[in-house]
Amino acid sequence: MKKVLWIMSLLLLPLTMNIQAAGYSIELESANNDLRDQASLQRGAVLFSNYCMACHSLKYMRYNRVARDLGWSDDAVVTEMAHGLSTVTENVMTRMEDGVALEVLGTKVPDLSLMARLKGDDYIYTFLRSYHQNEQGEWDNKVLKGTAMPHVLEGIERHATPDEYAQAARDITNFLAYAGEPSKLERLDLGWKVIAFLLVLLVLLYLLKKEYWRDIKH
Amino acid sequence: MSTEDQKSTCENLTRRKVLTGATGVVGAVGGAFMLVPFISSWQPSEKAKAAGAPVNVDVSQLQSGQMVTVSWRGKPVWVVRRTPEMLKILSENVTELRDPDSSESIQPEYTKNSFRSVNDEYLVVVGICTHLGCAPLYRPAVGSPDMMEGWMGGFFCPCHGSRFDLAGRVAKSVPAPTNLEIPPYHFLSNNVIRVGEDPAEGGIA
Amino acid sequence: MSHQTNESSAGKSSLLAWFDERYPVSSTWNKHVGEYYAPKNFNFWYFFGSLALIVLVNQIVTGIWLTMSYQPTGADAFNSVEYIMRDVEWGWLLRYLHSTGASAFFIVIYLHMMRGFLYGSYKKPRELVWVIGMLLFLVLMGEAFMGYLLPWGQMSFWGAQVIISLFGAIPIIGPDLALWIRGDFVISEVTLNRFFALHVIALPLLLVILVFMHLVALHHVGSNNPDGVEIKKLKDSKGIPLDGIRFHPYYSVKDAMGAVFFFILFALVLFYAPEGGGFFIEAPNFEPANPLKTPEHIVPVWYFTPFYAILRAIPDKFLGVVAMGIAVVIIFAMPWLDRCKVKSIRYRGNSYKVLLSILVISFIVLGFLGTQPSTPLYTKLAQIFTALYFMFFLVLPFTSANEKTKPVPERVT
Repeated sequence: MKKVLWIMSLLLLPLTMNIQAAGYSIELESANNDLRDQASLQRGAVLFSNYCMACHSLKYMRYNRVARDLGWSDDAVVTEMAHGLSTVTENVMTRMEDGVALEVLGTKVPDLSLMARLKGDDYIYTFLRSYHQNEQGEWDNKVLKGTAMPHVLEGIERHATPDEYAQAARDITNFLAYAGEPSKLERLDLGWKVIAFLLVLLVLLYLLKKEYWRDIKH
Repeated sequence: MSTEDQKSTCENLTRRKVLTGATGVVGAVGGAFMLVPFISSWQPSEKAKAAGAPVNVDVSQLQSGQMVTVSWRGKPVWVVRRTPEMLKILSENVTELRDPDSSESIQPEYTKNSFRSVNDEYLVVVGICTHLGCAPLYRPAVGSPDMMEGWMGGFFCPCHGSRFDLAGRVAKSVPAPTNLEIPPYHFLSNNVIRVGEDPAEGGIA
Repeated sequence: MSHQTNESSAGKSSLLAWFDERYPVSSTWNKHVGEYYAPKNFNFWYFFGSLALIVLVNQIVTGIWLTMSYQPTGADAFNSVEYIMRDVEWGWLLRYLHSTGASAFFIVIYLHMMRGFLYGSYKKPRELVWVIGMLLFLVLMGEAFMGYLLPWGQMSFWGAQVIISLFGAIPIIGPDLALWIRGDFVISEVTLNRFFALHVIALPLLLVILVFMHLVALHHVGSNNPDGVEIKKLKDSKGIPLDGIRFHPYYSVKDAMGAVFFFILFALVLFYAPEGGGFFIEAPNFEPANPLKTPEHIVPVWYFTPFYAILRAIPDKFLGVVAMGIAVVIIFAMPWLDRCKVKSIRYRGNSYKVLLSILVISFIVLGFLGTQPSTPLYTKLAQIFTALYFMFFLVLPFTSANEKTKPVPERVT
């Protein structure tokens, strides 16, 4: 039995490593966001609406889903995130017209629905906190050098304390982490119940197996 | 049989039966839970629900006696603005109806009345014949030329000849079993009907 | 589990008798379950056969359900996966069951194959059990490879691009062959459609048929065991092997216990690490396929990486493909490469133990190297372990012919 456990733990070992630790130019800071913090998610959603949705979309998210998961009413989500301009069954689309981004920014703007799963929460958090002015006085980003994305949070960063700014970045990160997998909390909450049930079944089967195997002489 | 011949004692057989039963029951419960995702995934998805969300109908331009068709959940929903004459005929002609009180038919509780409506002037009804799902024709005029004699205005299903009056009530001796279905709806204002949603307070909004 | 063991003569219900006259219900049950006599000394390594069957059923059932909402088109494949993850009720669970199941399948199969190496399960008279099993492994690799294209993410696209390009390395016909497989000049919706057809119909059908044949062959010759003793040699007066016990209820109940233990590990991954640390669902696959932009670092899914590392270790493109192909195909030949009469590692000589350890270590190291970007050091290491991997198969025929073995007991221990 010891050997069995040893092999099993060996098999699970790779899960603790992370394959995507690909080299970014700076070390990523830990976002420390909490998906269960609804207040943070709500603040993040509002910040996202005010600062990101001018260019970015969350095309796989529907407003009514955001409302349900973040503890808003259908009317509240439309007021908070869409200024009453969308219906709750619509997806969270950008306010920018098609093709404008290519003209103005010289690039396509990525949809952010899956950005947190593609890059990780820490990446987004660090990215938002890594804008700085280079020698020419232009804004650049330490995580993604030469990014076409302007420093949209500059206003907040200038007027807020560093802690407040960190919290704003954390809230946006949290909201994007949520948007990456809206059913994540459901998954985490279901998991231990399933495992607890299986443990009961395992105990029963173990006793049953032992009972039957009393027949077998060794 | 070298190893199995050793018969267990009675006590052990009982223990074996109890354990088998317990494992079977717990296993079956687990199996039943396992079915839930597979069965529920056939429910309308969020996308389908979003597409089937309530629709608003502006009736401010609708003249008396006219009908407008809107699509709700992919089904035609008719809104008819009834004239006082039409309502008069409806309240008089009740003997030829199969289900005049709508007790066998599908409608929200708040439209289970003589005119089958929230506001007598407006009929809101799903335009699908309750017989086999054809789309009935709207023939509002008394004695419409292409209708049978004594036609008092209503809906006629061309597939199998079912007749409904202007409250969607089915006539006797036609194939359709029940009155036309009334969807949930309520008035957002005097001129806007929201189809597909019950009024907030369960009342007549 | 609750079936009664049917004694062949007495106590049949009339309904069963009615069926038995028309269809071999009892006799099939008895031959394969009720009166299938398996050695009584199966250990941990003997769980993986039934687990593989369970995972196969999981893949088929969740696969059917995913097909109901998936769209195999270039424009909508990626979207439809997110549609399943977000809009379909419980869609996320069905999808994770399938994606986690794919990796679980290979973990189980690799351990199942390891059992064969440990106890000589490929040896006479079980050569065909082994060969059919290896065919299953090949088909499973094809099934997994094609399934991985369907989410239509960046890794799906570029992984398929790299693997299909391998065929281009074949002299003369290569480029035309690669073009034929893709059906287009790059991987496109055309490729996606044919992979979809093969993934959901053709290969699963083949898998089921081969599993059936695998079991028929196994039940014809009987199961091996950790002692490598043929239990059919010693039978009692009724012709029942002295060391055999009925599969049902003894092994059905034991395998059920093993299955639930496996479900717990499976659930841990499914609910708490469905991405498998980036191994089961690779992060770049959360970006839709883009033929104009290659991800920085293309890695096949983990279960292909040992073979992928062999491919990269060989500096010549064509020879690399050949080496990778041989690395898989050579395993088919195990029944003939291993000339030692003793089956179980318990009674075999040190040479086999050393060789097998080298094989396992090489396989794991190559698997790790296959996930890493190639640096000169890693390439060198990959070459060394590729050589060690092949050394196992090349040296074995010589060492196994006159191995110093221990005496094998008459009966199982």
